[in-house]
Amino acid sequence: MKSTQYSEKVLDHFRNPRNVGVLEGDDVASGRVGNPTCGDLMEVFIRVQDDRIVEAKFRTFGCGSAIATSSMTTEMVVGMTLDEAMQVTRDDVADELDGLPPIKMHCSNLAADALHEAIKNYRQRGIKAIQSEDGTEFDLDCLVGADEYLDNGLYRTVMDASDFEEKRTLVVHTGDESVDVALELTSVTDRVVLLTAADEIVTTDELKEELENSSVKILTESRLLEIRGEFEVEKVLIHNLDEDEDYELFVDAVVIV
Amino acid sequence: MTSEVYLDYQSAKPVDPRVIDEMTPYLRDRFGNPSTLHNVGDLATEALEESRKTIARFVNSDTDEIIFTSGATESINLGIIGYAMKNKRKGNHIVISEVEHISIHNIAKYLERQGFNVSKVPVDQYGRVSLSKLERRLTDKTILISIGIANNEIGTIQPIEEIGKLASEKGIAFHTDAVAAEGLLPLDVKRDGINLMSLSSNDIYGPRGVGVLVMRKGFRVNPVLIGGGQERGLRSGSEDMPGIVGMRAAAEIMEKELPEEVKRFKTYRDRLIKEILGTVPDSYLNGHPEQRLASNAHIRFEGIEGEALLLSFKDRGISVSTGSACTSKTLEPSHTLIATGLLHEEAHGSLQLTVGRFNKDEDIDVVLEAVPEIVTRLRDMSPVYKRKK
Repeated sequence: MKSTQYSEKVLDHFRNPRNVGVLEGDDVASGRVGNPTCGDLMEVFIRVQDDRIVEAKFRTFGCGSAIATSSMTTEMVVGMTLDEAMQVTRDDVADELDGLPPIKMHCSNLAADALHEAIKNYRQRGIKAIQSEDGTEFDLDCLVGADEYLDNGLYRTVMDASDFEEKRTLVVHTGDESVDVALELTSVTDRVVLLTAADEIVTTDELKEELENSSVKILTESRLLEIRGEFEVEKVLIHNLDEDEDYELFVDAVVIV
Repeated sequence: MTSEVYLDYQSAKPVDPRVIDEMTPYLRDRFGNPSTLHNVGDLATEALEESRKTIARFVNSDTDEIIFTSGATESINLGIIGYAMKNKRKGNHIVISEVEHISIHNIAKYLERQGFNVSKVPVDQYGRVSLSKLERRLTDKTILISIGIANNEIGTIQPIEEIGKLASEKGIAFHTDAVAAEGLLPLDVKRDGINLMSLSSNDIYGPRGVGVLVMRKGFRVNPVLIGGGQERGLRSGSEDMPGIVGMRAAAEIMEKELPEEVKRFKTYRDRLIKEILGTVPDSYLNGHPEQRLASNAHIRFEGIEGEALLLSFKDRGISVSTGSACTSKTLEPSHTLIATGLLHEEAHGSLQLTVGRFNKDEDIDVVLEAVPEIVTRLRDMSPVYKRKK
């Protein structure tokens, strides 16, 4: 079966998705699963009254079936108690849609998981989240290839931004100075990736806003494991903490200030 | 399906009706086998040798350097595996680029299992191979370089003449996959120092199931198909005469019409690129701004996924392609886009538009009207898209 051969119901929910959007309020909780790296990211919002879901909405980045399953899930759960909604499985969602192509059953059918996350988060409201680390510590000794590539594409400081002209540059977030460097480099190259182990770049509000409006691409929940290349930096190995997966990213320069 | 707007010429092309007219007699009265000696066979032999002459002229090689195959995949197998096996005593190292067609990457994996070493040259952010990075990878064990003239996804054109020159200086054979470039760039194996070149018939509006390996003198390959010894023993199997005649007809038309056609494609391409980048915020061009095929517009949109994009176009009767993993067999994003330095999530949101012989101005209008609407709709649903100020 071709990946795009969907049932009429899937296509209907893709073309006319129900309940797109976000919910706000004290009686609302949300769940987020997936990862844009894999092609699918879903957010499900539920409004709960007397232990019953009275409203559900979603936002999804993903393929046709990702959008359809999100839409169907939000339709299915309205009126259910939280316990009932916890019982809704991926298979239930797929069945309601008259099935999904087998290859889509895992990657694009995460809406039930997002719903369960939302329910858990609803039940844990008021419990203060543990302060997460800001992700700025970086131990150069743990980086494979650090010595070999120093001055061959690995920079510990940026003396002259013109060295980076047209170069795809990875900047490791090690504090505000690294954010400054990333922003500065956008004047000479349109490809700057800022990498952090945290789930966002922890910095001043001012720098944060500047980053948001810049061309800097932010890579969260990621660690730089290794630099690779023949004699010079050609690519890096990155560990995605969320998915617990490694992948290669092609770059010309790495900056660790 | 008459109202279908087709902007996916890179994936498949219709056979030109003029080509079909040339082929038909060879499916009917002129059905002969060139290996036979009677009159019916002679007609086939004549057509085969005429076709060889035309293709040789089309690529500027000698006539006896043309080997007909069943298509580009077979040509590439014969060119790379055939050359590697023939020359394995000279060395066991082969160099390809990171942005070769998937068939070449898979052949490389196969050769690695046979004891060869394969190096892959990285490309810059536009998908161009760097000559210094290529040179650095050559060793005294290197017997073959295989780098395509242009990339089939993002349309980036490689510095082929320079690569050919470097290969010849180092005494290394140079194979090129010319499929993406065929019909869009004039081919010339002598000018570009190409020793082995793979071609497909469909990419110049000929029938599928026919291709050519150009094998220059002094660069012999081992056959990969063994049989009755056709094509001087290098490619056995009775010649597919309707197909070969079709490829000849397609090449003849192409020789006449290429310059005019390329001019028209460029107008379409430039309009697509300029208007999409101009009307859709946070959209970017993949591939090289100038060194790109006349038919190719490859755009990436932040915050959306390619399969959803493709389905939305499909609903409007528009055929396009995407670099998204969700439409591939392996669920892996396009290796070409990753090699240009894109993250997986960026590779997912790419749209590939390729124009061709039968497109009209109105097709471009239809697509340009659809793009902003489709992108906006999908972005409104996306939790990852945030418009920059």
